[in-house]
Amino acid sequence: MRLLILLILTLAAQARTVLVVTADASDFLLAAGGTIASMTARGDTAILLRVTNDEKNSWDLSPDETARRNGLECAEAAKLLGIGKVVSLGYREGELGGVSPTELRDRIMFYIRLHKPDVLFLPNPHAEYVEVLDRHYAGLAAEEASHTAALRNHQPPFAQVGLETHVTRELYYYAQPFDPRRREPESTATFVPQPKVSDIGAMLDRKIRAALALKTINHAVAMRIRDRLESTGRRLPLLDTVNDASVAKLTEINVRTLAGTGAKGTGFQSAEEFHYAGPDFGVPSKFRK
Amino acid sequence: MAAAPLAAQKLPLGANPEGKRLLIIQSHHDDHTWEFGFGGFIARLTRSGYEAWYVRTTNDEKDSGIGWGRGDQINHKESVEATRHLGIKEVISLNWRNDHMDSVPMNEVRAHYILLIRKLRPDVLMTWNPWGHYDRNPDHRKVARAAGEAAWMAGLANVHPEHLAAGLKPHRVPYVYYSQRSDYGRGQVPNIAIELSAEDVRRKEAAFHAHQNVRRGSPKDAMDKASRETGEQHGVRYAEVFYFRDEWSHLPGLAPLLEESVVKR
Amino acid sequence: MKLALVWVPLSILAAPLPKVDPPAGKRFLVIQPHHDDHTTDYGMGGLIARLTRMGYEGWFIRASNDEKDGAHGYPHNDMINLRESEAASRILGMKGVYSFNWRNDYMDPTPLLELRAQVILLIRKHRPDIVLGHDPWGHYDRNPDHRKVARACADAVWMAGLRNVHPEHFELGLEPWRVPHQFLKARVDYGRGHEANAAVELSEADVQRKMKAYSAHRNVYASPAMAKSVRAQLAAKGLKAPELDGMTDEQAAVRIEEWHMDWVSRQRGQENGVRYAEIYWYINEFAHLPGLESYIQKNAVKR
Repeated sequence: MRLLILLILTLAAQARTVLVVTADASDFLLAAGGTIASMTARGDTAILLRVTNDEKNSWDLSPDETARRNGLECAEAAKLLGIGKVVSLGYREGELGGVSPTELRDRIMFYIRLHKPDVLFLPNPHAEYVEVLDRHYAGLAAEEASHTAALRNHQPPFAQVGLETHVTRELYYYAQPFDPRRREPESTATFVPQPKVSDIGAMLDRKIRAALALKTINHAVAMRIRDRLESTGRRLPLLDTVNDASVAKLTEINVRTLAGTGAKGTGFQSAEEFHYAGPDFGVPSKFRK
Repeated sequence: MAAAPLAAQKLPLGANPEGKRLLIIQSHHDDHTWEFGFGGFIARLTRSGYEAWYVRTTNDEKDSGIGWGRGDQINHKESVEATRHLGIKEVISLNWRNDHMDSVPMNEVRAHYILLIRKLRPDVLMTWNPWGHYDRNPDHRKVARAAGEAAWMAGLANVHPEHLAAGLKPHRVPYVYYSQRSDYGRGQVPNIAIELSAEDVRRKEAAFHAHQNVRRGSPKDAMDKASRETGEQHGVRYAEVFYFRDEWSHLPGLAPLLEESVVKR
Repeated sequence: MKLALVWVPLSILAAPLPKVDPPAGKRFLVIQPHHDDHTTDYGMGGLIARLTRMGYEGWFIRASNDEKDGAHGYPHNDMINLRESEAASRILGMKGVYSFNWRNDYMDPTPLLELRAQVILLIRKHRPDIVLGHDPWGHYDRNPDHRKVARACADAVWMAGLRNVHPEHFELGLEPWRVPHQFLKARVDYGRGHEANAAVELSEADVQRKMKAYSAHRNVYASPAMAKSVRAQLAAKGLKAPELDGMTDEQAAVRIEEWHMDWVSRQRGQENGVRYAEIYWYINEFAHLPGLESYIQKNAVKR
């Protein structure tokens, strides 16, 4: 009995809070979904902070309808990854370039101080060739927020409403594999997150199930591929008929291929790549031991 | 995973992308013609039947010491002449203030580009690399970002739907070539080399020297020399190098499938 | 709560404004977005002429590049408008024109602090006793350049006097300088437009120079087409203006613009009990201390 209590206490002490910042409904899932799922599976509490409203990412729906469906589907996908709560900031998709960086940073900082995460997932703003720049802007804001959340002089009113400063001990910078140099170590070993690969073999099926929930976006991806092929006299047999089954197949291929790319050269079957800053972050290497 | 110095690697030689229409979006009057630019490749594409348009985003008022208005005027004129050497049809000048593009709203510049992309429906876009390192020119950075976004956003019907009301249709640019200064820090790491013919280089040279206002006194063979050096590195007589984004580069999880399984209809 | 329509008697609107004589001093700056903002009909040409007549030295700052004002293409418009602005300023007796060349009609995204820093630098360099600018509280002005420049100047006039503002300027040997007096204008033809609190009397010579300076902006005013249409309208009513006889349309257009400026100055004069006038929102050297202003004025004495 005493042993059991001890075990429960230990587990409870280890259960962490994970805050996931994403620009849009699909990025966090495709780049980091497996790793997030493995954390929730071991008892961590995860919260998703979605910065935009995904109003533009559909094949043929109005912005309002697109935003509505993507919101519901994102919540569904998050649930399948074990994420307990989704907060949407509601910025218009594709418009983050026109939003005050400080405003965005302060809004993310608010949630960091509110939930006091042990782990923060954020879009890597230093990853190159990310086409959707909302991810870049959200990443810059989140990275700054992780820093300013710890500083008393930032946003004094926050402290007055009980939002105390908070240091996030682990940062996972995620990005889909666009950057050809993403695995190169950064030039300095301290103060800069370094490449890290996370095995998601046990979570791959769950990640695929979650990805399938993003029906509107998956359909749009399929239709855009088909449209491009058609206009250039080509076709993809899988997409001769675009229906739930073919879109699902395409989505599964996408997730599996990404997992394979992440695992390349690591000995894992399926993996995700990050830049990682752990509790040692900020401690010069000569003092770490 | 340390990579070998990429500059020393021989790059694959790129073929002409399939298409008919080329849009070049740059910050300044001369960004398309100098040693880090696209001059030879533009000549190669127009020679093969491409129609091409050049967008000058700023007003170049500060390039040369002859006064703002006059700088704008002469640089624009010379840009028109240079583009003629390269077979470009038209120069479209957006006239944003030179060297002050940091404060220009991103979404506004992007909206201009999206409109032009939907109107001209290019198969190929050439622009500054949004991920080029250490570029200290705010106009390059802003243009690169805005054009990089416009290339795909122009394909979404929910982006600027007012354009559709004017009879335009969404259009995603399938092939994108980025250039970047390589004399600043890490610059850009190119992934493709484009072989040029002697005629391409001759036209590139002529276009370069058309910018007399800023190029007076440059060696007569400046472009020949630069293209020859790049060519030597990649095993051909003349070449230019770029960062190329293929039509499926934005779908890293699906690109292998598409390259393998796509068939002609 | 009951809503009531309040009728403002016309007599109040037409009540003469207090007459203000420009204070004695040595230097003034005129800060406006556009090449012609110091010479337009609701503008400041007459006051500038009066100041230079008093022995003041004056400079004009053009904040935008005026590329869109005119029909000659961007760079040409910029060049012509600047040249004409210099000519107009010379006619008014000013020393010179600075151009900041911000993009015309796109000054909304111009960073306020950057523009303000430019103005602060020139204020510290010239140490003006008077700044003539645009009223930041003018209503319904649809021109983003006016709004932006007005705001930047409203900050700059007092911030230039603070040692902690842009201390890098002091490395150049400049010193802090707070601008004591401001005369502000705004369009009076937009909505509620501009409220004035002062009328400045002009001499006939001032108005003459104001008229000439205004028509120096040939690129945007005094178009021959306008003269042609005025003549046609007169002819349709069986009338003609003998003074325009023998003039080309171009000459006639200049003359008509000059009449207009004369008329405007006369009108403002009539409303305020003098022959010629311009009206402004005048801010004196102690207006920023409302609790002390009258006390200072009453009690300050010569040393």
